[in-house]
Amino acid sequence: MILKKLLFVALVLFSINVKAQLTGGIESNSALYIDDDKIKLEQIEARQRLRSNNYLRLDYKLKNFTVGAQIEGYEPKALLNYSPNLNKTNLGTYYVKYKNDKLGLEATAGHFYEQFGSGMVLRTWEDRQLGIANSIAGGMVKYSPLESIHFTALYGKQRNGLGFYFTDGTIAGLNTDVELSSLLKTKKVKFGIGLSYVNRNEQKQVFEGLKKNTYLTSVRADFSVGAFTADVEYAFKSKDALVEFNNIRPELQFDGDAYLLNLGYTKNGFGVTANFRRLENFGFYSQRKSAGNVYNEAILNYVPALTKQYDYSLTNIYVYAAQPNIGFEPNRNKAGEIGGQLGLFYQFKKETPLGGKYGTNVSINYAQWHGLKGRYDAAQRKYAAEKITFGQKYYRDASVEIRKKWNKKWSSVFTYLNQFYNARYVEEASGQVNTNTLVFDNTLRLKKSASIRLELQHQWADAGFKNWVASQLEYNFNAVWSVFVFDLYNYGNSIAADRLHYYNVGASFNKGAYRVQAGYGRQRGGLICVGGVCRFVPQSAGVNLGMNYSF
Amino acid sequence: MVKMYVFIILFTLLQLGANAQAVPNIKLTTLAGANFQTQQLNEIVGKPVVLSFWATWCIPCLNELTAINDNLDEWKKESKFDFFAVSEDDSRTVKRVPALVNGKGWAFNVLLDKNQDLKRELNLMNIPYTMVIKNGKIIYRQAGYVAGNENELYKIIKENQ
Repeated sequence: MILKKLLFVALVLFSINVKAQLTGGIESNSALYIDDDKIKLEQIEARQRLRSNNYLRLDYKLKNFTVGAQIEGYEPKALLNYSPNLNKTNLGTYYVKYKNDKLGLEATAGHFYEQFGSGMVLRTWEDRQLGIANSIAGGMVKYSPLESIHFTALYGKQRNGLGFYFTDGTIAGLNTDVELSSLLKTKKVKFGIGLSYVNRNEQKQVFEGLKKNTYLTSVRADFSVGAFTADVEYAFKSKDALVEFNNIRPELQFDGDAYLLNLGYTKNGFGVTANFRRLENFGFYSQRKSAGNVYNEAILNYVPALTKQYDYSLTNIYVYAAQPNIGFEPNRNKAGEIGGQLGLFYQFKKETPLGGKYGTNVSINYAQWHGLKGRYDAAQRKYAAEKITFGQKYYRDASVEIRKKWNKKWSSVFTYLNQFYNARYVEEASGQVNTNTLVFDNTLRLKKSASIRLELQHQWADAGFKNWVASQLEYNFNAVWSVFVFDLYNYGNSIAADRLHYYNVGASFNKGAYRVQAGYGRQRGGLICVGGVCRFVPQSAGVNLGMNYSF
Repeated sequence: MVKMYVFIILFTLLQLGANAQAVPNIKLTTLAGANFQTQQLNEIVGKPVVLSFWATWCIPCLNELTAINDNLDEWKKESKFDFFAVSEDDSRTVKRVPALVNGKGWAFNVLLDKNQDLKRELNLMNIPYTMVIKNGKIIYRQAGYVAGNENELYKIIKENQ
C-alpha cells in the first residue's frame, strides 16, 4: 500500500513542474549461499539461501522544498547477520525539507541525519555495509543568522528497523558553533567554539531511583595559526544505569566523560597529526536496553577507534574497536579507554636520492590504546578509575606505507604493519596476538587503458588464526570491465581442519553512474569494520551480486 | 506486486534521470576551516568543474588522486578547469586529511564532507566516485577507479572547453 501511494505521489509530482529536480539512487546486494565441502550455513540460516538487501532513494526538489524517501527491501530475507528488524519491504526514511540560504534557515520534518561537533555526543548516519541506519524522525531546525554563527535544534525518535518503528527514547538536542575569529575579523589566527546538549527521555521502562532523563553535553574549541592547528573537546554524560546482557540494573548508576585533543602541523611536502582521547563510560544509545547490542542499533553517538583504517584484507583481521563501556568480570574489568595516535606524511621530492625520478611518498602511523587504570570490584560492581594513568594494554599498531612510481607504467604501494591485539579485552574472547604483515601492491599500465594489479600479502601471527598468505590479481580491460581472482589462505592455523582457502573470482562493470559486480567464492568470517564500527559476519560460500546506480 | 511497482518507479526515474542534475547546496569545510557552500560549484560558468570523492583510508581513491596530481600541471597548461577533491572522512580520520594532503604535496583544492551530507544527497554508494559539472549541470559520472580512468576524465575535460 505504501508503495502504491508513493508511486501515485511521485507521478503527481512529476507532472507539476519541469523546473523541479528529481534525483535518486538504487543499490542492490544479493547472495546465494551455497555450501561447499568445508563451509556450510548454520541450519537455522540454511532455510533461506537466496537473500538480498535493496535500497531505493528518491529526492524531489522544487524551489526551496525537497521531499524524499528511501524504500528498503530485504527480500526474501536480509543478508547474513543483519538485524532481524531489517525484514521485508517498507519505508526506511521519509522527509520534507525547507531550505532558504538567504535567510540562513533550514527546517526538516521527518527523518534527518545530523552530527554535533566530532559526533561524540550525537551522530546519526547510514552505513549499509554495517546495517547502521540510525536517523532521527521528528523535527530539526538549523539557523545561521551570520555566516559564522550556527544553531541547531532537533527533537524526535530514532529509527529502529523499517516503517514506523522507533526506539523507546525521545531525543532532544541543541548545538551551537561560533567562528569567533570571523566575528572579530582576526586574520592570522583562527579560533572557534562549540557547545552541544543532547537529552534522552525514556518513559517506557520506569525504574525506581532511575531518572527518566539522561543527558550528554559537549564543549569544544578549535584554534589554528599558520601551519599549526589544535582542537580540544570535553564531553560529559549524566548518571545512567548499567546494562549487563540486556538487563537494566537501576541500582548501579554511573556517569561518564570524554576528553579529546587533536594537534596538527603541515607544510608543503610534510604533515603530522596527533590525537589523544580518554573515554570513560561513554557509549550512548537511544534506548537503555540496546546498550552494547551486536547489530549496532540505537547508537546515538560516535566514538570511533582512533587508529589508522587499513584497506587490505590481511591488515583487517585484527581490527581495534573503541572501548567506551563499563564491564565487570573478574580479570576483565573495563570502564573505558585511554590512548593516542601519531601520523606522519612525507614526500621525498623528485630528483633526490630517495625521491628518484617521480618522488617517493611515505606515511608512518603509530597508535596505542589502554584500559583505564583503577580499583575495580567485580563482585560489588564498583570501580574508581584514575584520570591519566594507563591500564591494561588493549591495542598497539605501527605501520609504514611507501608509495613509489618506478616508471611510466609501473607503480607500487608497500605496506608494513606491526600489531598487538588483546582479544581478551577488545573482543571479550581469549588471548593476545602479535602480528607482522607485509603488503606489496603493484599496478602495471598496459597499452591503451588496460592495466593489471597484483597484490601480495603475508601475515605472521603468534596466536589467533596464526599465519596467512593472500594474493589478488585484477585485470582491467578498460575503464568499464574488470575481472579479478583472489585467495586468502590461513595455512598457519593451529587446527588443521581450519587451514582454509578463501578464494573468490569475479567481474565488475563500471559505466558512468552504473556499477555491477558479480563473484563466486568464500567469505572469511569475522568483523567487517567501517570507521571503527564493526559488524560480525559468519563465514560463508556462494555467489554474490552487487548493483548500484545514481542519478 | 511490490517488485512490479519498484520496477515501474525505476523505469520512470531512469527516463527522468536523463535530465542533467545540479549539485545540491550543502555546507562543506575547506582545509583552512572556512565554510564552503556547494552552490558555488554550480555558479562556475564556462569551464568544467571536477569533483572527486575520496577518503584517507581508501586505496583506490589515493591511487586516483595521485595519478591526477601527477598529470595536473600538464592538464592545466592545456585546458581550463577547476578541481575539487571532496573528502568523505568522518571524525575518525578527518584530522588526518590536512597532513596527508600536504604530505603528498597535492596541488588541488580539498573540501571536507564530515558527515557525508553531500555524498548522501548525491546518492553516491561507494568511493572513489568522480563527476564533472559544467554550467551548473552534472555532465559526467564515474563510479570506481582503475588505472587509466584519469585519461577518460581528461578527455571529458577537453571536450568541454
